[in-house]
Amino acid sequence: MSQTQSVQQAASEKGWEPRIVAFLCNWCSYAGADLAGVSRIQYPHNIRIIRVPCSGRINPAFLLRALQNGADGVLVSGCHPGDCHYISGNLVARRRFSLLKDLLQYVGIEPERVQFTWVSASEGGRFAAIVEKVVEQVRHLGPNRKLVKTL
Amino acid sequence: MTASHEIETLLRETAEKLLREKKVNLFLGYEKASLPFRTAPLFLTAPEDAQRLAWNPFCSANLAVYLPRLFKAPADAREAALAAPPTVGMVLKGCDARSVVALIQERQLQREKLVLVGVACPGMVDMLKAQRAVRGCEVLGAGEDAQGNVRAVVEDGTEVTLRRAEILADACQECRTPMPSIRDIMLGTAVENKDTGVARQRTAEFGSKPLDARWACFQAMLSKCIRCNACRQACPMCYCKDCLLDQTRPKWVSAGSDISDVTIYHLVRAFHMAGRCTQCGACARACPVGIDARLLARKLSQEVEDLYGYRPGEGIEATPPLSTFAMDDPQEFLTEPSLIPAPYHPAGEAQQGGRAQ
Repeated sequence: MSQTQSVQQAASEKGWEPRIVAFLCNWCSYAGADLAGVSRIQYPHNIRIIRVPCSGRINPAFLLRALQNGADGVLVSGCHPGDCHYISGNLVARRRFSLLKDLLQYVGIEPERVQFTWVSASEGGRFAAIVEKVVEQVRHLGPNRKLVKTL
Repeated sequence: MTASHEIETLLRETAEKLLREKKVNLFLGYEKASLPFRTAPLFLTAPEDAQRLAWNPFCSANLAVYLPRLFKAPADAREAALAAPPTVGMVLKGCDARSVVALIQERQLQREKLVLVGVACPGMVDMLKAQRAVRGCEVLGAGEDAQGNVRAVVEDGTEVTLRRAEILADACQECRTPMPSIRDIMLGTAVENKDTGVARQRTAEFGSKPLDARWACFQAMLSKCIRCNACRQACPMCYCKDCLLDQTRPKWVSAGSDISDVTIYHLVRAFHMAGRCTQCGACARACPVGIDARLLARKLSQEVEDLYGYRPGEGIEATPPLSTFAMDDPQEFLTEPSLIPAPYHPAGEAQQGGRAQ
């Protein structure tokens, strides 16, 4: 039994599956995710991918809004430093994300809910491994009840 | 330090002279308000009105908030021809000067159109703290004594002395640069800038609580919020014409005081202030329900200072940290894939294998 299957089984017993929203940059990480698929690498199906032009395009409000609307975790991935299609978008984003993560942790949101990484277009395996790690960590935390809007 | 009434006299003379000699079209200052422990902003255009200017321990408002709208870019060529930007004189404390510097950096003001009259700030009184100090008595009037303490006349006609150090605003207790960093004219004697360490102490105090306690504390504070947006309006750095929080397509933050919307509002606003907030305390002062919006701004400011060595409002030539980058910026916060076994379980719980089995 593959690990993905065992994870799915464990989750269905608990009746809750984490939902992760992944913001992937068009040039590296989205292609990396594509490569993972094309290479038939197995990874948990808990992520919903949103393609953005660049990690520098991501406004922290996107991530907060995702968490408010019921995502259990958010993953942001861009090109490795130096590889940005727009030269420096990911480097500007890096400062932003670093502060956002600190801020959220400071107000009492688990740091694992919002995760940042770099995945290049050739790193399908790395993408799968990252997703596995994020899903596992969020599963361990349980459903997001802090920022989510309940009516 | 020069006494307040001497500064007041100097200030009136200076403003009168600037207006009479047409060095400025408008002078921004404070005047006596109808309520005790308060002052009102004063927009002076006639030299003979300069006697209305006041300088006392209650001049806490940050007048820099009025500047961006005075220097608003003209909508078209016709409007540009009609109204040239005014020359504005302004009395400023350390915090106002930081805001002015940050606004010049962000190209919201023209330095050559400003005449800055600096005063070394001894720290301003927090109205709520002062009211608490007189234990709910009706205050008929308040002034300052020779030692800089506040004397208030309460309802039965008795006078009480409130020690200034005890009723200083939080932002003033934390202030590291009471001397205005830019000024054209300096009134009174200078004071020394020094770091009291109070800000870091307060951040550490909140940060040392466990995660869930921090969240509970944060939510308890925000549950009072009525989303009046006063903190945004009072903030000199919140000058965006189309605020993200007002946009409806897409609607990033819903209106209303649902706790999750309130939380997102404060997080987004605090984040927009990262590396820009000059710690003047205008947001906390404006809040009608007593939310300390500086809790988040203070943390982010310290984070920015530790990571990128930047203090907002201290140099016109400096580049704000979030508009730039360095190749070797710290990136320990990034998620790296875990191969066997994942180390994130703090309780030492046995981990189920690595990824490829």
